[in-house]
Amino acid sequence: MPTRSKLFASIISPDVKRDEEILLSIAYGFAYRIELLTDGVLFDVSGLEKLVGSAEKVAQGILKKLQEQNVSGNIAVAASIDAALIMAREKAGLNHTAVTDEKFRQLHLSNLEIEGDTLGIFESLGISRVEELQQVPVDELVARYGQEFRNVIDLINQNAKRQLTSNVKEKNVSWSYEFDSPVDDFGQLIFILNRALEELLADISTRAMSTEQIDIRFKIEKKSEKSYEIKTSFPTLDKSFWLKLLNLRISVDPPQAEIVSLQVTAHFTKPRPTQTGLYAGSKPQPESLLLTVGKIKKLVKEENVGVPVMLERRLEHPFALDADKLPEGRESKETKLIPPVIAFAYYDPPIPAEIFVRNRQLIYLRTTEFAGRVLAYSGVWRSNSEWWGKSWRVHEWHVEVENAGIYRLQKKGGEWFVAGEFD
Amino acid sequence: MRQLSLVKSLAHLKEEQKFSEEVLLESIGLSLTRGTVAEIVGASSSGRTSIVLSLLSKLTQTGEVCAVVDSANSFDPRSAVLAGVVLENLLWVRCEGELENAFTAADHLVQAKGFGAIWLNLVGLSRQKLRMVPRTYWYRYRNRIKETPTMFVVTAEDAVAGSAAQESFGLERRAAAWSGIGRFKLLREMDVDWHSRKHFFGPPIGTKIEFDYSEV
Repeated sequence: MPTRSKLFASIISPDVKRDEEILLSIAYGFAYRIELLTDGVLFDVSGLEKLVGSAEKVAQGILKKLQEQNVSGNIAVAASIDAALIMAREKAGLNHTAVTDEKFRQLHLSNLEIEGDTLGIFESLGISRVEELQQVPVDELVARYGQEFRNVIDLINQNAKRQLTSNVKEKNVSWSYEFDSPVDDFGQLIFILNRALEELLADISTRAMSTEQIDIRFKIEKKSEKSYEIKTSFPTLDKSFWLKLLNLRISVDPPQAEIVSLQVTAHFTKPRPTQTGLYAGSKPQPESLLLTVGKIKKLVKEENVGVPVMLERRLEHPFALDADKLPEGRESKETKLIPPVIAFAYYDPPIPAEIFVRNRQLIYLRTTEFAGRVLAYSGVWRSNSEWWGKSWRVHEWHVEVENAGIYRLQKKGGEWFVAGEFD
Repeated sequence: MRQLSLVKSLAHLKEEQKFSEEVLLESIGLSLTRGTVAEIVGASSSGRTSIVLSLLSKLTQTGEVCAVVDSANSFDPRSAVLAGVVLENLLWVRCEGELENAFTAADHLVQAKGFGAIWLNLVGLSRQKLRMVPRTYWYRYRNRIKETPTMFVVTAEDAVAGSAAQESFGLERRAAAWSGIGRFKLLREMDVDWHSRKHFFGPPIGTKIEFDYSEV
C-alpha cells in the first residue's frame, strides 16, 4: 500500500513570546495541525506539494509571509519532523531551507543530540558530518555506545519516531469583506452575510466543531464601528437559523451610518449531542424557540418576553420576568398531582373603586366595571416592606361581590383599588 | 379485495393516531385533546385561570414547554407555582393590553411548533375589540396546530373562537365557601360548574377549587 509522503515545516524564532500570535497565524495559513514549541512553531504541510510545489517553494512561501509581517525566524521544510527542527535550529536570522537528503547529509554532527565525549571521539576519528557517520556500521556503534545511540542512528537515517502533537486550538474563525462603495441599508447585506455564514459554518464543520456565538463587526463611516455579539444557548450549524437570528438582532438596532466593511467571527464550541424521539416531552426545537422569542420581542419589547421567576423577597409583586432566559423543558423529579387552586389574576392598572362602609363593615363596592353588594369578605391583610427605599404599605381585603366576582380590594394612601380577581 | 378495501390504509391509521391523545385533568374531570383549539369561557371568578393552570402544571411537570400569551398583564406566577406549574418550562409573553400584539404573538408561537400548550388569555380585554378580530385568525391557529402535540387554549369572558374551536367549555361559579366569622373569615373554596358547549350537552359537572394560603 503506498504511503502518503510527509512534509513538515518549522519556524524557529528568536523571540517566540513576542511573535507567538503572528507565527501561529502564519502556520494556520499553511496547516491545520500545529505544535507550538518553546522556540518556535512546527506544522504539517503534507499535501501542499501538489498545490504550491516543491518543499523549496513551500519554504519560500512561508518566508514571504514572515517578511510581510516583519518577523525574523528561520524556516526549514523537511520530510521528517526532526530534520525540519534540526535544520531550522542550525541557522539564525531570516532565512529558509528546504531540507534535501544531500543537505541533511552535510549537516555537522554537533547539531545532533550526541554527548560531548562521543562527539570528541568522532572528531578525532575524522567523523564530523552526518554522511560520514552513516558509513559506520550500525552494530558497531550500538555495541560501543549502547542501545540509546540507536536514537541518533534513527535520526541520521530520518527514521525518528517523533510525532507532531497538535497543542494549539483555534477558538474562532473569521470572515471579512470590504465594500467597493458604502452600503446604507443593512437589508442589502443579507446575501453577503449568507456567504459569510456558508463559508464559516462549513469551516467549523470540517473541524468537527459547532458554534453558539457569532460576532459581527461593521466598520461604518466616520471611522467608527458597530459590533454585535449574538449568542445562543445551544450550538448549531444551521445556516438559515443563524441568518434569521442575525437579521432579527441587527434589524432591532441597525447601524446608524453607511457600512464600509464587515467582519463575521464564529466561535468554536463542542457540537450538541442530540437525542430525539422516545419519551421526550413536547418542546420546540431550540433554534425555532429562539427565533420565535426574537420575533415576539421585536413585537412586544424585549422586557415583555421571558421566563417567570419568583423573587425571594417580600414585595407587592414577588415575581419578575427574566427576559434573558428561555424555557428549559426540564422534567420534575417527581410529578405531583395538585388539586386546582384558586388563582389570582391582576388588573393592570388596578381599577379605582368606591367602597361603602357601615359599622366598620364593607357593605357595597362600586367601580367603573362592576358594582354590587358585598356578600362576604376577609381581611384586613396588612402588608408592608422595604421601608428603607421605595416603601409600600397596603391594606387588603378579599371581597365577594353580588352578581360579580371575588376580588382583592386594596387601600393605598386613602385610595381604594381593585387589584385583581380570584379566578 | 372488497374486504380489504374496508380496512383503512396504514398511513391513514397512523395519521389518525398521531397526537390524538388526550390530556386528562383528573382532579377536574376534564380532558383536552392535543392538536386542537379549546375555549374556556366564563364570567369573573368562574375558575378559568385555575383550570388552565392545572393543565400547565400537568404538562410542565413532565418537561413540556408551554407558553402564556398574557394579553392584559394579568398573569400571576405566584398562583402558577401554587398550582404546581414549573416556571422554568413556561414562556411568558406580556402584551400590555394590545390585542393585535397578543394575536400576532400567539401566531408566532403556533408556528414555532412543539409547545405542549399555548394559553391565549383574553380576559380583561375589551369585548368590543375582541368581536372585531377576524375569524380567520382562529382558523389559522386551528390549521397550524393540527397534527401537532400542541393544545391551543383560549380563555375569555365570552366565546370568541366560534366554530374554529374544536372544544368549548363554559364555566360558572355556583358558590364561594368562606370559613370563620367576623375578622377571622377566610375564602376557602369555589364551587364551579363546567359544561361542554360542543359535541354533547349533558348536565354541568361540578368541581371544587380550593384556596391555598401557603407561602411561595
